[in-house]
Amino acid sequence: MTAAALAGLKVIDLGQAVSAPWCARLFADYGADVIKVEPPRTGDVARHWGPFPGDRPDPEKSGLYFFLNTGKRGVTLDVSRAEGRELLGGLVRGADVLIENHLPPRMRDWGLDYATLAQGNPDLVMISITPFGQTGPYRDWHGCDLNAFHLTGASSRYCGRPGEAPLEHGTFAADFCGGAAGAAWGLAAVLGRRFAGGGQQLDVACAEAIAATFSGSQNIGAVALTGAFDRRTGVGMSLRAPATILPCRDGHAWILAIEDAQWQGLVRAMGNPAWTEAEVFRDLYMRAEHADAMYPLLAEWTRAQSKWEIMERCQAEGVPVTAVFTVAEVADHPHLRERGCIVALEHAALGSVRTLGAPFRLQGSAVRPTRAAPLLGEHNAEVYRDWLGLDERELDRLRLTGVV
Amino acid sequence: MTTPAPAAVDRSLPLRGLRVANFGWVWAGPVVGQTLGFLGAEVFKIESRARIDLLRMLPPFAGGVRDPDRSLSNHAGWAGNGSVTLNLKTPAARDLARRLVAVCDVVVENFGPGAMAALGLDYAELCRVRPDLVMLSMPAAGLNGPLKSVRTYGLSLSSLTGLDSITGYAGGPPVPFENAFADPFNGIMGAFAVLAALAGRERNGSGQHIDFSQQEAVMQLVGPAFMDYFLNGRIAGPRGNRHPLDAAAPHGVFPCAGEDRWISIAVASDAEWLALRAAMGDPPWAAAGELAGLDGRLRNIDSLHAQLAAWTRDCDDRELAARLQQQGIAAAPVLNIGDLLLDPHYRARGTFIEVQHPLGFGETIYGAYVKCSRTEPAVEPGPRMGRDNERVFRGLLGLSEQEYSGLVDARVIW
Repeated sequence: MTAAALAGLKVIDLGQAVSAPWCARLFADYGADVIKVEPPRTGDVARHWGPFPGDRPDPEKSGLYFFLNTGKRGVTLDVSRAEGRELLGGLVRGADVLIENHLPPRMRDWGLDYATLAQGNPDLVMISITPFGQTGPYRDWHGCDLNAFHLTGASSRYCGRPGEAPLEHGTFAADFCGGAAGAAWGLAAVLGRRFAGGGQQLDVACAEAIAATFSGSQNIGAVALTGAFDRRTGVGMSLRAPATILPCRDGHAWILAIEDAQWQGLVRAMGNPAWTEAEVFRDLYMRAEHADAMYPLLAEWTRAQSKWEIMERCQAEGVPVTAVFTVAEVADHPHLRERGCIVALEHAALGSVRTLGAPFRLQGSAVRPTRAAPLLGEHNAEVYRDWLGLDERELDRLRLTGVV
Repeated sequence: MTTPAPAAVDRSLPLRGLRVANFGWVWAGPVVGQTLGFLGAEVFKIESRARIDLLRMLPPFAGGVRDPDRSLSNHAGWAGNGSVTLNLKTPAARDLARRLVAVCDVVVENFGPGAMAALGLDYAELCRVRPDLVMLSMPAAGLNGPLKSVRTYGLSLSSLTGLDSITGYAGGPPVPFENAFADPFNGIMGAFAVLAALAGRERNGSGQHIDFSQQEAVMQLVGPAFMDYFLNGRIAGPRGNRHPLDAAAPHGVFPCAGEDRWISIAVASDAEWLALRAAMGDPPWAAAGELAGLDGRLRNIDSLHAQLAAWTRDCDDRELAARLQQQGIAAAPVLNIGDLLLDPHYRARGTFIEVQHPLGFGETIYGAYVKCSRTEPAVEPGPRMGRDNERVFRGLLGLSEQEYSGLVDARVIW
């Protein structure tokens, strides 16, 4: 095991909420030195979103903030003031990467465009992650994850019942996709500075990342050619069956058995009930055509079983059926325990906290996080001293004037 | 990095000179190759006519001709990859694959654990021909652990992550996501994993084998709900379009005039709530003191959303979104698939592009899904099967014309 893969890389996280902070955390997970810059007093808005232990709000105890900011050092800085921006400029001059997710009008107000920031650091890679991006008619729109996700076609096409509202995933799916795209393209831009001729700004629109790579991928060619397109059906797969989520005694299972061999495996797992021999379920096409007749019969069986028994029996028959795990069932599953992807970290305000560790394992490099999320301004003294050479007296003055 | 390749991949893109052998199939693996390819790497997807990837057979087909090179649903997702055909069931093809890996920096694969070893193409074996290899393995649940051999499809994988358990209407059962949302996400994350390993290699000269569990990567999306479980023991369920942490209300999707037209509206502050009230013409129900603060709006969220829906119902989605935006309210139309090509924002950003396929038909795919200020990839549609055979086998591996055609005839290069 050698050092961390991104050791030596310096990253400034000027993000708020989810997308940019998560992107910056990915860099921290693999060893970059990430400095989180937050507004004095209030801090990152995620500090106010919870979840809080016992539902008692406390900006040092937000679970969301903790999850998104492990492995980083934290400083406070008021970039809405000229002196604050000057200090940010100093931090950015010593950095490889700046990650931010402010809406473009705000960055313009602050005068924090790429050209200005890169003046003293032509190798700077700036990753800007916003719902709609830096260009195009919606660039100045106010927006958040919800607005971005529903602008992609993903919900209209793939999630919800016909006639009812299209659905987001129940999380910040667009923010996470934008964060992932920013991390991949941003790291490539860092590694390739010598080919590209220096640093550059990466314009990530969360909506575009999904509209292109997910909804566009298998739909855009067809809709361009024929103008015809599909909408959500409320069923897992409309052209194949069985392929959907069904209720079980203790929850739900994803029942998927579309190829003939899978179907036969499912039939065996069910104990060869007579109804499966009906002519209408004979082949892949007929099963799809008669899905409406099949699902109630299947559900009669699934309702009487545990989702774990269903998963185990089907998997043993080679059928890709899975239980729908709750978050508790995921978190406490022996598989994930053994793999160690959930880590416990010590935090001054929260005590020992479990959180999700690095998303993939670089088997030849040290992987973090080993450090809890920072308290607000926890590392002001060391960062401003080490990065900008400020002494205690100057720092006191900045604290007094509210810049730090 | 290896010697830069000629013209096609040389536009001073950041990953110029990087070479990738991509054994990935269907969707997640090809998106790893695509992302690296868009950024300048030369990517060879290894596939075979002996087992045609099912994503090549998705309808509709250009000109209505059912053919693995003509699937319009395939060419967007695979753009950025090249293609080399090798029938890996034959020992000669496996030998050629090893020779190809010897001149590549990166190997990508998304088979189940053990499949590459069965072909003699596992990390240890490949390191013998390429000692500083970076290899990305991305099976469903990782390379080890009790669930390592679990069988899933991309669209059911998310049931192992908790994501499906929180997707649905508030208080109702989980509603299935009808396609593999996890696949392109994991493809992009897989590209980041490769780049992180390459950054390590740049510093110390060593490659490595990346254990990428698709389950664990997608679990990151469920992070907010996991934290509520870790801190409070609470088990989240579906909550419709409500804010994942109840930090905004109203926060949802509301019906508009027309068939299946909707608008998304999110109100994150009391000031924005006042602006929304004004935009609605300050109806009496909205003036209730109870609704002035976020806590009160959350307590009354169902009736609040119902009232708001009654107001949006007769409005045009785009007109209303523009009007609310002027008041500083986060609102946007909910687009369907048909809207994507016509939407002025995506048009202005060149999200979707028209390209000419070498078989002589035009088609629409997506281009660089991140915009770079200094570099822009030249995006071609997903490759014809075997598009790069000549360049790889004759060029890179130096086979003679006779050897090459012999292997084609023997259906090794196939």
